[in-house]
Amino acid sequence: MTNLQTPQTTKWWKKSDVKKTFLLWLILTPIIGYVGTTVQLRSIGAPASEVMASVKTLMGVFTWAASPVAALVAALALTSLSGKRHYGDNPPAEADHQISNSPRVASTWVVVSTLLCLFALITGLVVLQKDNESILDATAMNVNVTGQQWVWNFDYVESNGVRSADLYLPVDKPVVFHVTSVDVKHSFWIVQMGIKMDANPGYVTETAVTPNKIGVFDIRCAELCGLLHAYMQTKVHVLSQADYDAWLTAKSTIEGAA
Amino acid sequence: MTTVMDRPAASAGHTASRKPLIERLNIVTALVLGAVSSVVVWQLALKLLPQDADTAFFFNREDKIMLLALIAWFVGFMTGIGALIGPFRWLMGKDLNHDENMFLAGKEQGVKRYFRYTTDHKVVGIQYLVITIIIFLVGGILAMLIRTNLGHAQGGWIEPQTYNAIVGWHGIIMIVATIIMVTGPFGNFIMPIMIGARDMAFPRLNALSFWLIVAAVPPVFISFFTGGITTGWSAYNPLASQSALGMNGYIAFICIFAISTMVAGANITTTVVKMRAKGMTWNRTPIFIYGVVASVALALPAFPVFFLSQIMSGLDRAFATSFYNVAGGGSGWLYENLFWIMGHPEVYVILIPSVAALMEMAPVFTRRPLFSFNLAIMGIAGISGLSVLVWAHHMYISGWAPLLNAPFMLTTELISIPTGMLFLVLIGTLWRGRLWMTMPLMSIFALLWNFMIGGITGIYLSDVPADAFLHGSMYVTAHFHYTLMGAGLTGALASLVYWFPKMTGRMFDKTLSWVSFWLVQIGFNVAFMGMFMVGLAGQPRRVESYAEIFNKGNLVTTIGAYTIMAGMLVLLHGVISSWRSGVKAPMNPWQAKTLEWTVANPVPLENFETLPVITSDPYGYGKAQS
Repeated sequence: MTNLQTPQTTKWWKKSDVKKTFLLWLILTPIIGYVGTTVQLRSIGAPASEVMASVKTLMGVFTWAASPVAALVAALALTSLSGKRHYGDNPPAEADHQISNSPRVASTWVVVSTLLCLFALITGLVVLQKDNESILDATAMNVNVTGQQWVWNFDYVESNGVRSADLYLPVDKPVVFHVTSVDVKHSFWIVQMGIKMDANPGYVTETAVTPNKIGVFDIRCAELCGLLHAYMQTKVHVLSQADYDAWLTAKSTIEGAA
Repeated sequence: MTTVMDRPAASAGHTASRKPLIERLNIVTALVLGAVSSVVVWQLALKLLPQDADTAFFFNREDKIMLLALIAWFVGFMTGIGALIGPFRWLMGKDLNHDENMFLAGKEQGVKRYFRYTTDHKVVGIQYLVITIIIFLVGGILAMLIRTNLGHAQGGWIEPQTYNAIVGWHGIIMIVATIIMVTGPFGNFIMPIMIGARDMAFPRLNALSFWLIVAAVPPVFISFFTGGITTGWSAYNPLASQSALGMNGYIAFICIFAISTMVAGANITTTVVKMRAKGMTWNRTPIFIYGVVASVALALPAFPVFFLSQIMSGLDRAFATSFYNVAGGGSGWLYENLFWIMGHPEVYVILIPSVAALMEMAPVFTRRPLFSFNLAIMGIAGISGLSVLVWAHHMYISGWAPLLNAPFMLTTELISIPTGMLFLVLIGTLWRGRLWMTMPLMSIFALLWNFMIGGITGIYLSDVPADAFLHGSMYVTAHFHYTLMGAGLTGALASLVYWFPKMTGRMFDKTLSWVSFWLVQIGFNVAFMGMFMVGLAGQPRRVESYAEIFNKGNLVTTIGAYTIMAGMLVLLHGVISSWRSGVKAPMNPWQAKTLEWTVANPVPLENFETLPVITSDPYGYGKAQS
């Protein structure tokens, strides 16, 4: 790929700047790929669902796929920059050549970028399809999520009218969220599970996830919804099935008594 | 409408003995007439408009009053600046005579012509430059307030209401500033000379487009003191219809600005299509011209939609129509669609002219021809074409039409192909060039770096599953700052330094340009790398306070932001000091081959004594190979 960046002359691949670019490209590709993935994936933190795990995989794959391109641009830029430089108030002498086009370079570039683009598209579609199917899971439990300025409420469809402000979920059980809002637009985001769905007044939208880790995770509103948008956050408690059942029974007793 | 038309005529009546009306109108009469008419309409509306019934579901009397006052301001201001003189004469079956046209062109008026409805494209260019700098200054101060608030551990230094207003204000005025930053100053001043024309196709429309922007600014300032734009720059409904009176200022601002953009778009497109010098075929037209035309031509379909979306928003507020109100049969998704049908082409309206300007500079500072001119045009055309087909990638997780996510993902990712072409053109031009180490040249490298990061992060965001995690987080904020600021603004600052000698007759101070370049670029990368981190860790956008885990990343961003501010202040100092007392510039300091460098400093009123004839493209650099 690199070698084609130079004009067609005899033994163009033996020119020193081409060699330098190629070498730089070889060095920079793994560095950019490694730093890019490590920094990003570390920042994201540990996933709490398969959806989130696949988001991390996707981002890693995309970063690695993009790193040869980024490295190539960087290598070409660095080689150019380390070539003939001129300082001063008057223009330098003219460059040694008048090359204004190279159809072969241009077409290679376009073909390669098209292939990379298709790769990104297909990878994304595969994961998207998997995510979409989870909404249709008949064994899933259902939770109605209602956003209002500036709290979340969760109604557990399969319970007898239990409602909570913190979300409680059993581990390893698929759950479908039916999201809506009573006032303005909010966005329901379970950060560590990698799902997000806007809460629109007057409409119910759906998203689904299967939590696969016991613990406490963050729910934040991701759509500016007025004065206290920044404070519209709560927690999701992922429990073992037994703990979850116990919580649900206790909660329904309290609500029943009240 | 009758009263409006009467005004210039009425005042013309009793001043005829002295200077003619056309010579008496300037920014002062405009401000006075605008202020007076808005106050009069405001007071009249207060007296005459019926109270809202106690049983009314919506209380919108105040909205009506404010919108009426803002419309009165707009009409008063435009009348006071003299925008209606031409149309009024026309209505009377006459037109301006030669002397009046020469007066409007700003002949022999010195500094005063910058404060009038002057039609000379060079005056309009300088006016745009100054107002762009002013808007950036205000937007920059707001950005520093935001960063100061968020630099404070866990935020919360500014009240939520004020903070939201600052975020919305920063967003919208920076969007406007970036839209006009290249096509305004350089598209107006440089472009007509570059194509070998004596002026724009419609000089009066040119003046109109500028003064419309001036008229648009006070409403957005007033909005800040009437509750603010607390909705972010996107002003999503139904949040916008719920917001305080300040939202009306936003609506008026957008409507007036949209008219300005449409007028400028029609004018620039016509100029380039019809007024290129003899022999300047499309193959010999400089690439910057393509960038400017693509930008304004994209704005032509985009901004009427924006205009319409805000008219509907205003009607929802003032007359309880329900375009966006679910309870009344409307939908917030309608607003989102309209907004992003404007909003996505709009980012390329900002980006394309900046990249094109750098492509124009690349051959000059590498002393070799532009690499693959055709590919550059294909890239620009491809981005422009695709950009109107991608808007719903802002709505992947909105719940609207999930079945369309995959097609929109396709169109969005396809944009990476023409964008890649622009990269190849720039990098191909640098390759084996003889680099003249100047701030504009280094800006090309900076653009490659920043736009690469902005572009790759854009691929994650275009991917639906990844976007389900990233959408609405600081990651998005960092991404679009990388593209609009890291790429767009970098190109605009390079343009400023590059064309400064032609526009002001003086060289931009070299040291200051370097100092500001490095401060801005380093500060920028520190700031927005930090923002990527907190976004990935889960910090939502537009929050005034955040969890403790985001402290470090936000502090880094704030430090970077202050570095940018230092760089921008150095740049501002450079602009002022170089303009006042810089080294006098020769006619062609960069030894460039485009037409604007063939005219004297200062550029004569009608640019060319004899119109040039073009026989080749302007990229004939480099030694002929033996």
